[in-house]
Amino acid sequence: MPRLRFMLILLALVITLLPVYWMVNTSLKTQVEVFTSPPTLWPENPTLRNYTGLFTHRHLGKYLLNSIVIAGSAALLSLAIGSLAAYALARFGKDLGQQRLNFWVLAPRMIPPVALVVPLFLILQKIGLINKQLGLILVYTAFNLPFVAWMMRSFFQEIPVDLEEAAMVDGASRLRSFRDIVLPLVSPGMAATAIFSLIITYNEFFFALILTSTPAAATLPVGTAALIGKTQTLYGEMAAAGVVAAVPLVIFALLVQRHLVRGLTMGAVK
Amino acid sequence: MRTKCLAWTLIAPTALFVLAMTVLPLGYSLVTSFEEFRLGRPPVFTGLQNFHKLLQDTNFHSSLVTTLIFSVVATGVEFVLGLALALLLKEEFPFHGVIRSSLIIPMVIAPVVVGIIWRLLYNADVGLFSFVMQALTGESVSVLSSTVLALPALILVDIWEWTPFMFLILLAGIQSLPQEPFEAARVDGASSWNVFVHLTLPMLRPVILVAVLIRALDAFTVFDQVFVLTQGGPGTATEVATLMIYKTAFRFSQFGYGAAMAVALGVLVACFSTAVTRAFRGSV
Repeated sequence: MPRLRFMLILLALVITLLPVYWMVNTSLKTQVEVFTSPPTLWPENPTLRNYTGLFTHRHLGKYLLNSIVIAGSAALLSLAIGSLAAYALARFGKDLGQQRLNFWVLAPRMIPPVALVVPLFLILQKIGLINKQLGLILVYTAFNLPFVAWMMRSFFQEIPVDLEEAAMVDGASRLRSFRDIVLPLVSPGMAATAIFSLIITYNEFFFALILTSTPAAATLPVGTAALIGKTQTLYGEMAAAGVVAAVPLVIFALLVQRHLVRGLTMGAVK
Repeated sequence: MRTKCLAWTLIAPTALFVLAMTVLPLGYSLVTSFEEFRLGRPPVFTGLQNFHKLLQDTNFHSSLVTTLIFSVVATGVEFVLGLALALLLKEEFPFHGVIRSSLIIPMVIAPVVVGIIWRLLYNADVGLFSFVMQALTGESVSVLSSTVLALPALILVDIWEWTPFMFLILLAGIQSLPQEPFEAARVDGASSWNVFVHLTLPMLRPVILVAVLIRALDAFTVFDQVFVLTQGGPGTATEVATLMIYKTAFRFSQFGYGAAMAVALGVLVACFSTAVTRAFRGSV
């Protein structure tokens, strides 16, 4: 029985990791080696040419920069705005009618993205924010907010109210007790929430595809998808672009592993 | 009264942002769905005409069926595999942390990149998957250009990407179950199958509901991997609803009709999630 269990886990690991390995493997091969049959299990003449080519004539650096600026700004903005709401939900939720608020925070998650994208396209076009970093930052901030508010609420709830009340009895204002007592305690949760927002927006493709188009504002997923059409059979470059897009995220996700379940279920499962 | 005032002040910025970016556009979509609205021409109110057309549009119906097959099969298989993995990995053993981290890699990679990974595997000239298939069957198959195999191939990609999600959430659920009932069952000499069916599954019900609902909702609106791998083809074999709406609105510039389809999809999704939630509650 333990042996069977070991074999099954090993099988799951192989199925999970082999496709990822294959992308890395392909990205390091020369164009000739990519087409050899049977395929080589590791690059015989490893080369970085696929990677350098992407940055020199496929604008990958610009796409990467756009992704970092847009995902980063949206994460910070939504964290700042959403944490305020989260604090109110955690501390005064009962006074405000909890059930109704839950609905309003979670309902946007149920709307199919495609029902929002047509009007957002028309609105952004009207105010001149199509294919602009700012346009996508605003859209992503709004989409992050329910998630940030919900997740931060669960972190705020874990901090005993007594701590704050004790500080306020000692004469501290609510603002001061928030800043000096609550904020330091909740900062690991804030970091995890911010990284989650980053992961979601950095990977987002659908809205980015429709609201941005050129290297001026397009993000990495859009740039990568466009590359597929342009490179045709340059599988090495395609694979390299995939690796560049995937690596930062895998690192980020491993950093927030402990909070992953809470983040994925918006606090429904801890 | 003062705290209430403070609370609303703190919530207001979030509420305004969400209103402006989701409720307002949703309203706009509703209005547009009653209009004949093509790019470069002013919209004209046409009442229920778009919805009337929708009812007779066999392409839209078949895209809904494709989406339904995709979602149900993918979510179902992911649930079974995820539960099996969670049961396999629920006890501590050597390299537990490393194995768990490795298993969740597919779901943190961008869906577009997942598309690239499987393009490389499925490719008829250079793909590992095709090479193995050819070695086994002796035939060269281009999986993504076959009307029969393309949809199962996309479902397989979804299963690879999202089984880790089911696994992770179900594992967390299993590990947070109280231990006493399980100890009592062991004392009574219950078989492990009986423990699983009569204890683990019923106690896990709320977690299962959350995991299945989140996954099914996302599967209903799948777009990225389909866009990268098949663009809906060959023919319309893999044209899921979101992709069809995208094409209608942004390739053929029929904003009004696209909005009507999007509204219809939204209503179906809402009905579905209500039904699933009710079914789960009702059978407790």
